Amino acid sequence: MTALTMPARSEHDADLRPLPWRRMAWVTWRQHRIALAGVVALLGALAVWLWIAGLQLHHAYAAATACHPASSPACGDLVTSFNAMGGILANGFILQALPALIGVFAGAPVLARELETGTFRYAWTQGFGRWRWTLAKLVPLAVVVAAAAGAISVLLSWYYQPYLAPGNQALSLNEWSPLAAGLFALRGIAFAAWTLAAFAIGALAGILIRRVVPAMAATLTAYTGLAFAAGLYLRQHYLTPLVARNLFNPPGTAFIASQWWTKGGNFAFAGRPPINLMMQFCPPSAVGAVGPGKPSEGTLWQCFAQHGYTLWTSYQPASRFWPFQWIEGGWLLALSVLLIAAAVWLVRRRAA
Amino acid sequence: MTIDKEDSASAEGGRRPASPIEFRLDPGSGVPTYLQLVHQVEHALRLGYLKPGDQLPKVRDVVSSLAINPNTVLKAYRDLEIKGLAVGRPGQGTFIQATLRQVALPELTALSRSLSGWLTAADGAGLDEDGIVALFTSALRDFYERRSGPRTRGGAASGETEGVA
Amino acid sequence: MNVIETSGLGKRYGGTWALRECTLAIPAGHVAALVGPNGAGKTTLLNLAVGLAAPTAGIVTVLGGKPAGSSAALDGIAFVAQDTPLYKNLSAADMVHLTRNLNRHFDQHYAETRMGELGIPLKRKAGRLSGGQQAQLALTVALARRPRLLVLDEPVAMLDPIARHDFMASVLTAAADDGMSVVLSSHVLAELERVADYLILLSRGRVQVAGDVDDLLTSHRMLTGPAAEAGRYAERPVVHARRAEAQAHLLVRATPDDPVPPGWEAHPVSLEELTLAYLREPGAAALPGPARGRDAQPSEVTK
Repeated sequence: MTALTMPARSEHDADLRPLPWRRMAWVTWRQHRIALAGVVALLGALAVWLWIAGLQLHHAYAAATACHPASSPACGDLVTSFNAMGGILANGFILQALPALIGVFAGAPVLARELETGTFRYAWTQGFGRWRWTLAKLVPLAVVVAAAAGAISVLLSWYYQPYLAPGNQALSLNEWSPLAAGLFALRGIAFAAWTLAAFAIGALAGILIRRVVPAMAATLTAYTGLAFAAGLYLRQHYLTPLVARNLFNPPGTAFIASQWWTKGGNFAFAGRPPINLMMQFCPPSAVGAVGPGKPSEGTLWQCFAQHGYTLWTSYQPASRFWPFQWIEGGWLLALSVLLIAAAVWLVRRRAA
Repeated sequence: MTIDKEDSASAEGGRRPASPIEFRLDPGSGVPTYLQLVHQVEHALRLGYLKPGDQLPKVRDVVSSLAINPNTVLKAYRDLEIKGLAVGRPGQGTFIQATLRQVALPELTALSRSLSGWLTAADGAGLDEDGIVALFTSALRDFYERRSGPRTRGGAASGETEGVA
Repeated sequence: MNVIETSGLGKRYGGTWALRECTLAIPAGHVAALVGPNGAGKTTLLNLAVGLAAPTAGIVTVLGGKPAGSSAALDGIAFVAQDTPLYKNLSAADMVHLTRNLNRHFDQHYAETRMGELGIPLKRKAGRLSGGQQAQLALTVALARRPRLLVLDEPVAMLDPIARHDFMASVLTAAADDGMSVVLSSHVLAELERVADYLILLSRGRVQVAGDVDDLLTSHRMLTGPAAEAGRYAERPVVHARRAEAQAHLLVRATPDDPVPPGWEAHPVSLEELTLAYLREPGAAALPGPARGRDAQPSEVTK
């Protein structure tokens, strides 16, 4: 039995060149414009807030530093009011959640929603081919998301700049190390790199878990674990910390890894002096010290030094900020590429 | 259950000449679809709806209105070609070529009278209406099968119903 | 050319074989119906053919030997899955645009014309269309690709009778216009004879029947006769038997040429009857080529 008419297309499959990548541009935009708009809105709102709060901060800082004489009560008030500013942005920890949110809401649904709603049965039987479709979606989205994060981190750097000037300490102004856990990931290239990594984790979680909400939860969990591991453990060891002897007044911009005391070449104690030694050598009545470990209130430390103890400080100087940024950005980029490649590979291999 | 739909050719602005007839389908009758189409053409010929030169509905239009397999329509038209009733012109369609053989009136009258005699005998033997129908259709089928062999595998089986316990 | 050709095809999910030793050759130019009970492996077979799943055993090729899921195969096959998946937040016009971007061949004029004929509003989101309109939308974008093979997985299950009729009319008209082949899985046996001219019966993951509908119908007869003789009648393989005290009906593999034993009547079989009989006898088979079927035991005895 043959059918009536001739086929409408020619029979030979002469050209099976892959379809041009730009065809997916409209597809990716149309399907993910809500997610992208959400990211832009979120970062936009943050930008407005940073701009307003940052202007106030910079203004207060300029006033405090320009004030003469520095020890007068009027100038002291300016210093106090500067130090009180910042609110929840103060430590920068709250902003660490941003890359996570972006990864969760922009990254996880890309593949998970297709699998959950069954639309992959449409998308992966079109002529474009499933793994090219995946790549053409993930890469542009990743780039856009990382670029938006990069733009915001410029604003973040500007906002936190007053806290990072050396010399703040002398004026009793708050001073933080650029390598501090809260700040490091917000500036330089780290913010963009962390956002990229979060997106890549989300994408892989989507193809592995195949349901949107569980993939989002898994992305959040994995990202949080990775961020904590990097901030608490990995980052300190990118380069071997410098070790200084009897450094009682390290610069405020340095990041202290650990401190310990030796006596006569042997290890005595680390960090805070034990109570019995304090009572023995440097009782509070003799020293007037309030709490341990504050180099600027170093009478306690001087006291121990006079009794033959040597302070060793292991630290990372502020000058290592950019080398650390390149290292962290580098391994995050490599990880992101690996995760996205894994996602594409799984799409290519995975059965329905 | 019958399905009737408007001829789509007239709705398309009459670019193609419409066929005089329209097919219908009785899906519950047990008669194969293509046979229903063949019978409808023959019936239309008998009643004068179709004359030599008329075009049968385009395959596409039949498929579109009845939702049946195109090969079924092709099979029906091919059957009509074999019977000599229609002819296909490539690119144009299928056209009626001849009419059914007319039987002369005296012959029809004689046949009718002998049939009435047979019916009287059957009735006298005790067959009721359904029994007469069963006996007749069985003999009819056997007659055509013997005459033309396996080609008319369904040709004489119109109206045959499957047995159910 | 065979639109779908499999050899020893099998698919295992975990420990269960959803499809086993499936060997088929579905010729082009037909509307092939894939029939079977739930869990028989219909969706699995279709997924394998369109490249959504990979075989555990055996091979599957499409459109004359192309590997399933390859670039050439994707180009020539359009698939409408069960529940006609669409992007609910995209408008009908967006779905057309999307399909056009994702494929080499797309007949924009056909798509727009059909949407107009069907009365589907182009600006409305797909999720807010009726069930019948969604199915027609999914079908329209599939047909606009001018595929050589259209694969449908239970396409009309959720549609009302009019929507069902219109859907199948669209499919069959495209088959008539373009010479497109169709493979569709179906539960609705009553409509099979009207729509399909090639039948594949799957039961418990195995192919039970495969062949041209006309060939199948000419090679089977229903014999009615005395129940007492039913057991002795073994000239032809009996597919399915139904017996009462006095009368028996045997569905046998025989042609109209085969002699009918005295005292018995032979009737032709409808496609629906044939399908049901085979589905009730999982051990019986009717496959093309050398005789593969086995005699079935009479199963039903009714009083």
